[in-house]
Amino acid sequence: MTKVKAILGNFKRYWFLMTQLIGRDFKVKYKRSVLGILWSLLNPILMMTVMAVVFSQMFKFKVDGINYLVYLMTGIIMFNYFSQASNMAMTSVVENFTLINKVYIPKYIFPVAKCLFIGIDFLLTLIPWLAIIGLSYFGLGEYTCHFNVYFLMLPYVFLCMFLFTVGMGLLLSCLSVFLRDIWHIYGIVLTLWNYLTPVFYSIEILPTKLQFLMHFNPLYQFLNAARTIVLYGKCPSLKTLGILGFIGVGMLIIGSLVFRKKQDKFIYYV
Amino acid sequence: MIKIDNVSMMFNLGIEKDFSLKQAFINIFTKKSKRKKDEFWALKDVNIHVGKGEVVGLIGSNGAGKSTLLKVVSGVMKPTKGKVTVNGVISPMIELGAGFDPNLTARENIYLNGAILGYSKKFLNEKFDEIVEFSELREFLDVPIKNFSSGMTAKLAFSIATIVNPEILIVDEILSVGDIKFQEKSKAKMMEMIKGGTTVLYVSHSLQSIKDLCTKVVWIEHGKVIKIGNTEEVCDEYYKEQMK
Repeated sequence: MTKVKAILGNFKRYWFLMTQLIGRDFKVKYKRSVLGILWSLLNPILMMTVMAVVFSQMFKFKVDGINYLVYLMTGIIMFNYFSQASNMAMTSVVENFTLINKVYIPKYIFPVAKCLFIGIDFLLTLIPWLAIIGLSYFGLGEYTCHFNVYFLMLPYVFLCMFLFTVGMGLLLSCLSVFLRDIWHIYGIVLTLWNYLTPVFYSIEILPTKLQFLMHFNPLYQFLNAARTIVLYGKCPSLKTLGILGFIGVGMLIIGSLVFRKKQDKFIYYV
Repeated sequence: MIKIDNVSMMFNLGIEKDFSLKQAFINIFTKKSKRKKDEFWALKDVNIHVGKGEVVGLIGSNGAGKSTLLKVVSGVMKPTKGKVTVNGVISPMIELGAGFDPNLTARENIYLNGAILGYSKKFLNEKFDEIVEFSELREFLDVPIKNFSSGMTAKLAFSIATIVNPEILIVDEILSVGDIKFQEKSKAKMMEMIKGGTTVLYVSHSLQSIKDLCTKVVWIEHGKVIKIGNTEEVCDEYYKEQMK
């Protein structure tokens, strides 16, 4: 218990630094652009439009009985969050080596700050996403999605995914200090993971055996829970919610433990 | 305040070169001699105790291990062997302007760099004007520092770093910053901080400034402490050795 307190105390102490690092990322990202922060909104809207046209108009993908557009967008924004955040977190420690070599800063700050930074972007993408759901009332897509009370469970689902992402970020950023090849490998892994996760297709088109294996894909669990709420208007089962929490916290613990054990060695690999 | 007990620091120089497939392939054919050679001891069995209010100078040739020692004390590196105990808040001035982002303005960098040095938001808000005043850069506050000259950047960095009244100050050769006027000003500021009862670890190649400031001097060579003691004596001995 005292350990948890110490960790939280440390977190609080460096919170200001965390906000500064996130602020820096934002400022640098939008420096010299006319629309500035609006891009954080515009970008997902444009991207969603492209994806929607490609998959529902060109490839004629659909999932029976539900609004495919919302199905697709839910998958894309959640998967994109994970892939972007874990990717940026992965490189964050190595990129800040000059800093680590000069001043004492708890090193976990860098991957966590990246996950939060992309997290803010993710929250902004929720605005157009909710707009699409709203527009389905007015005939966008074949079926209407209904806002329902279970939407209140979404923050929990997103939180679990966030914890999972932070865990991955810590693990990857730590490994890549010792083995830079991880950067290249993970790029491929992400592409593969993207196709192995039902982002734009439905799990039903897979053979039964693969459908079973899919349950071991953490991202499928997150996507599925969110879609159960948004598209089917149902609350995910307690078991599912438990699994989400388990995956999120579990990954966070694994990532933190590895990171903690190895962080004193980082300095030799500068 | 600072206790450095039997501290040794080993670097593995092999890390830089050996770890690639290509190298591994070449190694099969060349039968490389033992890896032992790649070990480099930057510090060997260093013992230094610094009491409260002492100003300790570190001297030695380039690569003697002075900066490594400062890094070990400030917590950037953990020693391979031995133990470092520090009582009090450290303000490390090992390298100025750590974490400056060239794309951000001076104003933004003051907060960023301040946060990196461990200052709180409240503290920075209070001291903001003082920092700007000291740096003499008020008219350039909203200019990205990539457009600054190196002297201007250094002035800003110095002003941020010295705004605190730390219990322990670690200084690595930064007195000579900016133009003549600013050098005098920064020297006076350093003197003020040091005279204020702060415990100081000070690295410099200028024996004159060491003699001016320090109450005790540690002479390090090849990672080993050669001599600890009276400022004048050790400095003179070091000077003779260097001039040989």
